[in-house]
Amino acid sequence: MIKIERLNYRFLILLSTVLACAILAFFVGFIREETIVYTHFFYIPILLAGVWYRKKAVYIALLLSSVYILVALLSPQTALSAHIFERSAIFVAVAYVIGFVSEERAKGEEKLKETKEEIKNERDKLNLILESMDDGVCIISRDYEVEFMNRVLIDAFGYHVGDICYKAFHNRDEPCPGCKNPEVVKGKTVRWEWHSRRTNRTYDLFEAPLKNIDGTISKLTIFRDISDRKRMEDNLRDAEERYRVIFEHALTALCVIEHGKFISLANKEFEALSGYSREEIKGKKWIDFATEEDRDRVQNYCEERRKGEAPACCEFKFVSRDGEIKHVNAWIEPIPGTDSCIASLLDMTELKRKEEELRETCKRLAELDKMKSDFLNVAYHELRSPLAPIVGYASMLERYKLPDRGMRYLRAIEQSAKQLEKLINRMLELARIDGKKIELSLEWVRIPEVVSEVVKSLEPEAKEKRQKISMSVPEIEVQADKQKLIAIFTNLVSNAIKYTPEGGKIDINVEDRGEDIRACVADTGIGIPEEHLPKIFERFYMVDTSLTRKSGSLGLGLSIVKEYVKLHGGIVWARSEVGKGSEFFFTIPKRQKAIKKGA
Amino acid sequence: MGEEKEKKKRVLIVEDAAYMREMLQEMLHQEEGSYEVVGFAVNGKEALEKYKELKPDIVTMDLVMEVMDGIQAIREIKRYDPNALIIAITALGMPEYKDAALAAGADEYLWKPFTINNLFEALEKVLRKRGRGSEGNE
Repeated sequence: MIKIERLNYRFLILLSTVLACAILAFFVGFIREETIVYTHFFYIPILLAGVWYRKKAVYIALLLSSVYILVALLSPQTALSAHIFERSAIFVAVAYVIGFVSEERAKGEEKLKETKEEIKNERDKLNLILESMDDGVCIISRDYEVEFMNRVLIDAFGYHVGDICYKAFHNRDEPCPGCKNPEVVKGKTVRWEWHSRRTNRTYDLFEAPLKNIDGTISKLTIFRDISDRKRMEDNLRDAEERYRVIFEHALTALCVIEHGKFISLANKEFEALSGYSREEIKGKKWIDFATEEDRDRVQNYCEERRKGEAPACCEFKFVSRDGEIKHVNAWIEPIPGTDSCIASLLDMTELKRKEEELRETCKRLAELDKMKSDFLNVAYHELRSPLAPIVGYASMLERYKLPDRGMRYLRAIEQSAKQLEKLINRMLELARIDGKKIELSLEWVRIPEVVSEVVKSLEPEAKEKRQKISMSVPEIEVQADKQKLIAIFTNLVSNAIKYTPEGGKIDINVEDRGEDIRACVADTGIGIPEEHLPKIFERFYMVDTSLTRKSGSLGLGLSIVKEYVKLHGGIVWARSEVGKGSEFFFTIPKRQKAIKKGA
Repeated sequence: MGEEKEKKKRVLIVEDAAYMREMLQEMLHQEEGSYEVVGFAVNGKEALEKYKELKPDIVTMDLVMEVMDGIQAIREIKRYDPNALIIAITALGMPEYKDAALAAGADEYLWKPFTINNLFEALEKVLRKRGRGSEGNE
């Protein structure tokens, strides 16, 4: 619109000027009959047309020439002369020259415009590249003025184009001491690392000279943010340090073996084990630490471990610097992604010695145990043998008419012999328990039958001490060894009689608990001090071993009870209060899991 | 046959302890006319020789003896005469010994100490067994 308006405006001015010139020519030449002066105005439209319409001005010149010729023809004063044609030609010539010049100028302007456009496009492209870069880019003039910053840099530091770099970025009044600007503007390219406190990030800076159109040199700086890489590197270094400390201070000897042959790294413990310093160890063949005879085996093991085969552990003899041979267990583990292995060696020498000692002790103890068992067996035989004539002759004596007194003496002999036999029998039981030679001969046993049998056999003793035995036994059958069960009850009840003062009470109580039975033998006896309670089921243990103790006991009864109860799969325990009495408990399962038919 | 039954049973006593030999003899002679001790042996080897020589009806055999133990002697005698009657007498307590003695061929087992009644019960038991055995044979 504007263009058209301007065109019309120019055209109108031109038209009016041409008209004015024509009118003036007609008016002066035709009416006042003068000519010469007035054609000078004609140059005005020709000039305007030349400037505005370039070569088209020739047409205006031709038009004006014809007007001039027309005026000359029509004018009575002026005759058509060479002078007139000459002037007309000058009009056309002037118009052509002005038009030509004007057109040339316009052409130049056009070209400049195009070039500018191109430059702008190029710059836009460049800017796009700079903006889309992950790295920050800035251009700083030699006078430290920021000429350009890309988006990345603006985001990080703010917009500072046009500012002075050391003021804007560093809050300084003069250039920074380490500034590379002077070097760069001289044509050098530099690269350095810079940590910004403002952004708390580390940058890798690439700075290069940039030649401006005017010949001056600015500095192009590319900021590459390497904080993440740096942090990763730091983390890696930390992790490495951590593992190094673990490696160094591990309590096993550790070393890294390269290509299954050479040691590249060893820790403190390895130094201690081998007696070499780590500088000496480094580069040594690790196989050289094994004794001659073990070398092939250890090398094979190492090879197989590298292939991921073979068991993890290998035992071999390790030779230290001073020739000492140590028994070590070695574990070799390939390090994934490398041709290295890590070997950990544990010195078993001391452990092995201890193990040997222990085995020796164990063997000796087993021998001693067997000796003891044998001794008890022999002792049993040798003690019982002389008992035979005592019992035998006494039984023969009964067949003779003895006076009452003699008969009484005989009974005393028989009773003592019986007591002695009982004690000897217990010793044998003990020997057999120790030798684990006991098997249960299982049958269904009625508990009331067992208890009354025991009470019947012990009643005379109780009566002597005027003790009362009461019992509360339900009708239960259990799968057990009857003789052993009798022995259990007999031991507990006779203990109760023994340790209960005259006139005391003994209570036998059996309870059906479903899966098993629980029996309790309680007395009103002297009781057991608390500190003795945990030990009373131990063999030969006696609460009182002084000369004032109650005699007639070897301290075996309760240990036999415990063994027999255990054989049946039950447990035994006791409760007691000194001066008030004791309670002995045991349990027996009603059914035995594995039924063994024994002797 | 009846007459034979009333005949005294001839007993060989095998024992290493003199006091036991004496007592066994005393016991056997308590029942007048029933038993007669025909000989003694102090070890298994001698027992076998005496058995061959005396051909006793019953042998009482101790198990713990020098030279040849009782178990071995029982085996040897039974091999020589499967009809021999042997009562093993011992103070050994382990049931294994009883089993071993019976396995070797002992007809009865008697534990020391024993009364005179225990002894006669054992003797009568083996004799009854023999009685049944010989009746069956004849």
